[in-house]
Amino acid sequence: MSEPYQPNDPAHSAAATDASLDQAAAAREKSIPENGNQPISLWTTVICGAVLIVAGLILGYGGNRFSYNSLFRDGYVRTAPPGSVATPLPPKPALDAYMARGKKVFEAKCIVCHGPDAKGNGVTFPSLVGSAWANGETERFAMIVLNGLQGPASNGKTYGVMTPQGIGMTAEELAGIMTYVRNHFGNTKGDVITTEMAKAAINISAARKNSGQAVTAAELTADHVNALPGKPVAATTLVDPLTLEPVPSAAAPPVTAPPAAGAPAAATPAAKVP
Amino acid sequence: MSSAPSATALSDATLRAGIDRSLRHPVMFFLTSGAAWLAVSILLAIVASIKVHYPGFMDECPYASYGRVFPAHINTLIYGWGFQAAFGVVIWLMARMSRQQCRAAGTILTAGHVWNFGVLLGVLGILGGAGTGMPWMEFPRFVWPALVLSYFAIVVWSFIQFRVRDSDKSYIAQWYLLAAMIWFPWFFITANGLLHWSTGHPVMAAGINAWFRSAVVFLFFIPVALGAAYYLAPKLTGRPIPSLTLARLGFWSLAVVAPWAGMQKLAGAPLPVFLPYLGAAATALLAVPLATAAINILRTIFSTEEKLPKSPALHFTLAGLIGLLLLAVAAIALNLPGSSLQLTQFSIAGYGFDILAIYGCFSFIMFGAVYFIVPRITCREWLSSRLINMHFFFSAYGIVAIAFGALFGGFIQGSAQEAWLQPWETVTEVVRPYAAVSTFAWCVILFSNIFFFFHLALMWLRLGRRGATPTMLDSAAADLTATGPQAGH
Repeated sequence: MSEPYQPNDPAHSAAATDASLDQAAAAREKSIPENGNQPISLWTTVICGAVLIVAGLILGYGGNRFSYNSLFRDGYVRTAPPGSVATPLPPKPALDAYMARGKKVFEAKCIVCHGPDAKGNGVTFPSLVGSAWANGETERFAMIVLNGLQGPASNGKTYGVMTPQGIGMTAEELAGIMTYVRNHFGNTKGDVITTEMAKAAINISAARKNSGQAVTAAELTADHVNALPGKPVAATTLVDPLTLEPVPSAAAPPVTAPPAAGAPAAATPAAKVP
Repeated sequence: MSSAPSATALSDATLRAGIDRSLRHPVMFFLTSGAAWLAVSILLAIVASIKVHYPGFMDECPYASYGRVFPAHINTLIYGWGFQAAFGVVIWLMARMSRQQCRAAGTILTAGHVWNFGVLLGVLGILGGAGTGMPWMEFPRFVWPALVLSYFAIVVWSFIQFRVRDSDKSYIAQWYLLAAMIWFPWFFITANGLLHWSTGHPVMAAGINAWFRSAVVFLFFIPVALGAAYYLAPKLTGRPIPSLTLARLGFWSLAVVAPWAGMQKLAGAPLPVFLPYLGAAATALLAVPLATAAINILRTIFSTEEKLPKSPALHFTLAGLIGLLLLAVAAIALNLPGSSLQLTQFSIAGYGFDILAIYGCFSFIMFGAVYFIVPRITCREWLSSRLINMHFFFSAYGIVAIAFGALFGGFIQGSAQEAWLQPWETVTEVVRPYAAVSTFAWCVILFSNIFFFFHLALMWLRLGRRGATPTMLDSAAADLTATGPQAGH
């Protein structure tokens, strides 16, 4: 019934009126049959299953889907990719760069006892704010950080025993933490403890008579009331934020604008600056 | 043939012919003006594509700058051609399947003119520099309320026809068409309202825009294409859809999954991390509704060994279904996090995916529907199988070149972007051959669609062949030379 009007059929053509011609296309149509009820075949199921697994893996790859931390990493410092010529970061003033490093060390090591405001608790942990030793001679301060402290503190009061913090600490970290404590939490010394000075402190600490024990007030007063040797660096000197080495001002690359707030640090590293 | 069924068949044919006649003017208006917009869009695509590999082209003319021509191209493709073709096909299919004559042809025709006028103003706005800069929503913002209003005036009659149909069963095709008609105002009003009239966070606005683009494709164009294909395949072959269960799975999985897709384009942006990954997973999962529907319809067409008629409608529908399968594969291949998702994020691959969906799948099935519908509503047969063949082959070769060029070129471009120690210039150098291929392919597609528009315009002017035999792609040539030798010249 699909083709009531046979092609090349003269009898039909002759008989066809205008009205039937108007319906010709409609009349030769097939009707839509009832839908079949075949079950879904095995291989269709397999394909759909495979797609489901792939989609699940994609979703799983998202990791911490409800966390912002994987996109916004605090203090993210770009590392140069392997095999590339390291592109120097825009230099920073020395005080800022050392303090940024020190802040990380403080948050990793000191914050547990001395607290986020460095005020301690007044009973077992002393305050670093306005402390005579923290703000005083640099060698004495460095010895306490590296070796810990037993007995009375700078105000004469005895707190608990401070454990040594110098194990595995690099010169950059020591320089950073000292600069940070002396210029933060209300302390305003304004000086920068350089990496060179920190190296000297580590050497002095290793050469101590009773090496391995925490220092005491007596030992500090006897041996360590000195300024650490080393060339001082002005707070505004531009240094490389990664190595903390001063950048010769002529060779300093132009300071590029920092990426816009909220830019995806992880996905588009700032390293794409050519 | 005995006399009784013949009389039933005849009265049935009279009913169908009555429905066709009632819709003649609105449907022909949508199809011809859609085809004209398609030609305009392709012309703009050629200009935009030339500027990718030859930036000096027409650089003294501000109206032809890339930032205006490219949005004009994509917006005319979507709102000028895509939606109008969909309207023409949807209102006809819904009337036919509900077996109701259209009683509001005048209203639909008026609304169609409003829609066209809106698109025209929008495109002029974009070319004049008043575009909004939001992809696929570049029309100045006074345009979209006009589009929404005329949309309702166009499709509301199809809902009424469906409601008052004299049977309580529904066709699979009707599910998809009704769903598309409901989804479109939902996502269109949501996205336009949020982006044009409320001031949210700008990064989230980019996310909403990405979701909107995905929704246009997967919540409107694809369901309309699937609805038309689910109608055309059994209608043209007289064979049943093999599995109603599979059709249900395909429809409901599309309805559940498609609204989640889209935000993967914002991967790495400061949005909540789950949004892009959910978008990527949903887009990959869309392979299920796309592939199951394609398989179901292809099995309808190839269910017996019997030789198929070389009908132009069937040819185009088949090609569109193959485009649908490729789209399903691409939906997975472009969304693997850690590899293709990041690699192709800022490349031409996204454009290739969109064009594959809009032209390679949706438009081909719409062409199939046009070749089926137009002889019925004009009571004339297509003039020349040669014109149809030209349209088919040039379109097919063109879309294959663009889609594969853009998808493959997208990976090359993404790799070049990753090599960040190279100057950025190398990226454009690497993409240049693919852009050149794209220009050439758009020229081929323009060539094919000039034939299509010309052919359709002749049918619209009722200059089609008067006869009872359909125009087929193989045997009809001899017949045609007798009746319409001047066709195509």
